[in-house]
Amino acid sequence: MELLSALSLGELALSFSRVPLFPVFDLSYFIVSILYLKYEPGAVELSRRHPMASWLCAMLHCFGSYILADLLLGEPLIDYFSNNSSVLLASAVWYLIFFCPLDLFYKCVCFLPVKLIFVAMKEVVRVRKIAVGIHHAHHHYHHGWFIMIATGWVKGSGVALMSNFEQLFRGVWKPETNEILHMSFPTKASLYGAILFTLQQTRWLPVSKASLIFIFTMFMVSCKVFLTATHSHTSPFDVLEGYICPVLFGMTLAGDHHHDNHGGVHGGAHGGSGPSSPHSAMATKSKEELSEGSRKKKTKKAD
Amino acid sequence: MASPWDELTLAFSRISMFPFFDIAHYLVSVMALKRQPGAVAVAWKNPVSSWFTAMLHCFGGGILSCILLAEPPLKFLADHTNILLASSIWYIIFFCPHDLVSQGYSFLPVQLLAAGMKEVTRTWKIVGGVTHANSYYKNGWIVMIAIGWARGAGGSVITNFEQLVKGGWKPQADEWLKMSYPAKVTLLGSVIFTFQHTEHLAISRHHLVFFYTVFLVVTKIVMMITETATVSSAPFEDAVSRILFGWQQQISPHEKKNEIKSPFRSTDSSTSKSIAGNSDKVKKKDTKKTE
Repeated sequence: MELLSALSLGELALSFSRVPLFPVFDLSYFIVSILYLKYEPGAVELSRRHPMASWLCAMLHCFGSYILADLLLGEPLIDYFSNNSSVLLASAVWYLIFFCPLDLFYKCVCFLPVKLIFVAMKEVVRVRKIAVGIHHAHHHYHHGWFIMIATGWVKGSGVALMSNFEQLFRGVWKPETNEILHMSFPTKASLYGAILFTLQQTRWLPVSKASLIFIFTMFMVSCKVFLTATHSHTSPFDVLEGYICPVLFGMTLAGDHHHDNHGGVHGGAHGGSGPSSPHSAMATKSKEELSEGSRKKKTKKAD
Repeated sequence: MASPWDELTLAFSRISMFPFFDIAHYLVSVMALKRQPGAVAVAWKNPVSSWFTAMLHCFGGGILSCILLAEPPLKFLADHTNILLASSIWYIIFFCPHDLVSQGYSFLPVQLLAAGMKEVTRTWKIVGGVTHANSYYKNGWIVMIAIGWARGAGGSVITNFEQLVKGGWKPQADEWLKMSYPAKVTLLGSVIFTFQHTEHLAISRHHLVFFYTVFLVVTKIVMMITETATVSSAPFEDAVSRILFGWQQQISPHEKKNEIKSPFRSTDSSTSKSIAGNSDKVKKKDTKKTE
């Protein structure tokens, strides 16, 4: 009986990991990515004044992960643009989201239940991309663990890691803010996922790839759907990090994981000579998270 | 029947770029560099930096296409004769006694000749880029368009990036945001040549090369004579953008009015737009303060 259920679960995972991504899942990935582009301040105006730049930004949002991974592995940066159908699909989504009459498409997509479905499907694509990225890196470097982790991470987190360059195309250049300083939940989750998949690839984790994909997808989907539904920007890792970081890095993270009110306070408190740089980094991080949070609240209000 | 015509275009499309057209291209590029404020001072103080910038101006498009195709970006340095040619032109432009070259260049017919010849090299570059990309990706016509564009007009992107690294660049004045006239024309040409290459366009290549080059040279010379920086394709572009993106441009002033007068149409987009606009203004203020 147990064997039977295990078998069916394994088969379920296997067939799940073989679902073709192209039309439906990719479409939802593009929709959610370009939706986030539209939330960025100034993106709508940019699309009116400079459609070409806006299109390029949209392409970066959709294919940033491939571009970055290609850059890291020394393959042609525009490799993915040879998939004409994907690029055309993404361009159509961009056009509909930004230029649809009466903003109908945008309103439909933003309707919360619809958006939750798309967000869930996007996470499916993300996990699959991590797995593919690690497989690809493994093909190039058989023992390069770090390369595998980096490739998987880059594939999973996508445009977030190159947000500075993406902003550059929109005419905004702010080197002082970047994703590494304040990692969002998807970025962190991609990193942890990449580590898990790397362990699986190098046979340290005794599970099949299909079931790992299945489990991690379920985790990501549930987390992301929950976060989107509740409009919260806390990450489920915060609690864990709150325990681990003091042990590993010896920091007093009192203000970090509930930094809503006094985020920037402890910037001046630590003026030590040795470990001052991580502290100041933390302070700027929390400040930026604050501003990021307020900005996101604003866009949420606009919804 | 039309054999002399055919022969003419065929012969034209087989012209070698090497000595004269390349010289014209380097001349125009380096003169454009020299016109930038502070370039002469940099050349006297730090010749190596100036030389490098000049090389970026001359070979920028090739560098961008190499980056995109994951070829060595310094591949252009392997072509010794072209490097020597460009370097000598850089040298005589910046360090010629009594600024003879610059004075000669400021004579209008010389400028017209050089600019026209430079436009000829642009066609050759686009064709080369499209063919080169096709050797990598048989069906990737988006890649072909991109590489053709990068070869023809990517130099400005590279030089912008170089200025960004130097710290003397305002991102608002980006090539992407403005899409200068050469960039637009190159995009058009790259699309046309890609369609020709994938045989969607039933015209032989040497004819297309000829027509496109004549178009480029004529528009460039007309623009230089009439001294209009504005684009000759503006009406066409207006029409297209009105068809494609038009209703929004017509709506947006209305929406702004509505926000002031009566917010009976305060849709999602208008509110988000106003918020976005506000934050944009705030940002601009911030950057001004930091400047």
